[in-house]
Amino acid sequence: MAEEHKINIVLAGQGNAGKSSVFNYLTGLHQHIGNWAGKTIEKREGTLFYKGHTIDVLDLPGIYSLTTYSVEELIAREYIIQHHPDYVINVIDSTNLERHLIFTLQLLELECPVILVLNMTDLAKKKGITIDLRKLQETLGIPVIPAVASRGTGLSEVIDKAIELKGKKSDHPVHPFGKEIERCISRLSELLKEVSLPYPVRWIAIKLLEKDHEVVKLVKKRNPEIIHEVKRLEKELEEIHGHDSSIVISDERSHLASHITRETVKIAVHKEISLSDRLDAVTTHKVAGYLIMVLILGGMFMAVFGFGNWLSGLLGNLIGNWHAWWSTTVGVTFGASLGWSAIESVLALFQIAFPYILPFYVLLYILENWGYIARISFLMDKLMHKMGIHGKGCISFIIGLGCNVPGCLSCRIMESKRERFITAVLVTMVPCSAVSVIVFGLVGKYVGILWALGLYVFAMILIFITGKISSKLVKGEPVELIMPMPDYKTPHLKTILLQTWDSLKEFVFIAAPIVIISGVVIQAIHLAGWMPAISSFLSPVTVQWLGLPAITGILLIFGILRKELILVMLAAYLGTTNFSDALTSQQMIVLAVVSMFYVPCVATISVLWKEYGWKKALLVCVVETAGAILLAGILKRVMDIF
Amino acid sequence: MNNQVSLTELEDGQTAVIITVNGGRQLIKRLADLGITSGTEIKIIRKTLLSGPVQVEVSGSRLVLGWGLADKIVVEGYG
Repeated sequence: MAEEHKINIVLAGQGNAGKSSVFNYLTGLHQHIGNWAGKTIEKREGTLFYKGHTIDVLDLPGIYSLTTYSVEELIAREYIIQHHPDYVINVIDSTNLERHLIFTLQLLELECPVILVLNMTDLAKKKGITIDLRKLQETLGIPVIPAVASRGTGLSEVIDKAIELKGKKSDHPVHPFGKEIERCISRLSELLKEVSLPYPVRWIAIKLLEKDHEVVKLVKKRNPEIIHEVKRLEKELEEIHGHDSSIVISDERSHLASHITRETVKIAVHKEISLSDRLDAVTTHKVAGYLIMVLILGGMFMAVFGFGNWLSGLLGNLIGNWHAWWSTTVGVTFGASLGWSAIESVLALFQIAFPYILPFYVLLYILENWGYIARISFLMDKLMHKMGIHGKGCISFIIGLGCNVPGCLSCRIMESKRERFITAVLVTMVPCSAVSVIVFGLVGKYVGILWALGLYVFAMILIFITGKISSKLVKGEPVELIMPMPDYKTPHLKTILLQTWDSLKEFVFIAAPIVIISGVVIQAIHLAGWMPAISSFLSPVTVQWLGLPAITGILLIFGILRKELILVMLAAYLGTTNFSDALTSQQMIVLAVVSMFYVPCVATISVLWKEYGWKKALLVCVVETAGAILLAGILKRVMDIF
Repeated sequence: MNNQVSLTELEDGQTAVIITVNGGRQLIKRLADLGITSGTEIKIIRKTLLSGPVQVEVSGSRLVLGWGLADKIVVEGYG
């Protein structure tokens, strides 16, 4: 392939700009697109073959700024500087031009070739916003192309432009700051010329004045003298402006964006209140908003369960006699039994994934693409603050109701490490669909539905208390909620299906290996005949403290694999699903409480491990197991009194 | 000219001009990168009960700010 036919482009932009839609359209690869900001964190790459050109596309994390507040922002910035892509495609939301232009200005400071994609021009038109493209192009000094990425409109023009301009020397338009700042930048640029750094000199000068931690460190290593000069200049600037120099620069950038917007955008005043605004008013209402939220989430939960139980029963019947078939065909040797447990683990995973997780994701993404999830964060922010995290954490809780694995993964949307960890810990206590199977299948069916619902309320209270405690224990300042409020928009079916498929795939890939390995290990222990020893070893806890039959020791070990196995194995052991033969009502409640809160399932543990290290994962397991056993034992004693 | 007040003292639907943000450098910068900076107009779309988050409109964009944060934003000229 000739070198001139290869083009590297990267996509950059703030969250909610539709960057992922552009990526999907260009590469045909699947990716998350969402309404909550800053969700894409993984590196996504793809290739497009177009008019004889090979175009490599990289999707950078959606971020708000190129100042290093977060890892994602650092990743994006470093990538652009170090890899010199042929083009940075800056995707921005036409309906929020001003806010997005601040980011564009920062990109231009990096002196990389930028093509600006004005996305969502259809929504802008609806809102009565007209943007003077030619003027915007002239003012910014870069190509500007209007697009509607969700429909693919305008995107081939973007690529055509990249091909057309490839190799042509582009001059980097400079958007000067105020006089004093420019003077400081020139002075620093002079000094920086002596130091060889792989970054544009002007950009380093700006970042030094912005007190960018990474850049200051870098320059200090090469030439500490320059930092002294920076300090002196910063002081000068602060005396003139009465503000910290870093804020003066941000302010000027923001005002420049504002100025450009005023020059290029006309908004027709329309008296009519849009449907989105009206919906927004109702769904974020002080009273009605909460009622609607309970209805929507309750409805979603019931729909998932109704569908899940039906499909799970159907699948159960379908694969019910596979074990018998395996035993007669392959045999009942040690190896064959282990093989079967591996297969059974995968089958069981699919029995959770398709009946429960799949519809759950579909509904979740409908709500997300519609714009409702951001409203939930808004409504729940206050309550979440009491647990030391903010409103966005609620999203992870809701996802956790389906399955703790994606629930924990979604904690990445929280800004600080502290918030991520607290949210993840709390998510592991959210009763997932497998736990719900136990709660409803045991307590709901044999003790009473009110008791089952009571256990959910109990879980909520416990999560709240744990949140309060961990917000005190985990060091660091709580972060306040800053979140763009998206307009309500019609969800695209294709987007929802792609997102669902993607999340389902992630769930299966993360969970499958762990579930198979541990399934085989436990089966091996079972075949080795160590189970009775284990259950008698555990009996001081299970029998004496919790008042449960000794067999539950083994059940709880299997439950680590997947929680609903506790119920499945109990049925297998009893030879019947009539659990009231073996357990009293009190024992059922105690067993359900232990199952809800003791160590998270292996798949969740593996996510905790991956995201927060083995020490923290182990800590969570130990504390939650001890807590659950303690709590259930106390509950038993309280019930003994009545 | 009205007195300077905290953003949280404004009522739903009121517009004011941002004077300053009482906070650390990081916070002020973060807000400035979102267009929330002195001299900019800010409109309260709605507040919530019991000091919950505040929905605002700045330069054509809707944002949600936690109460504690909104409280740090000083505005004047509201009406």
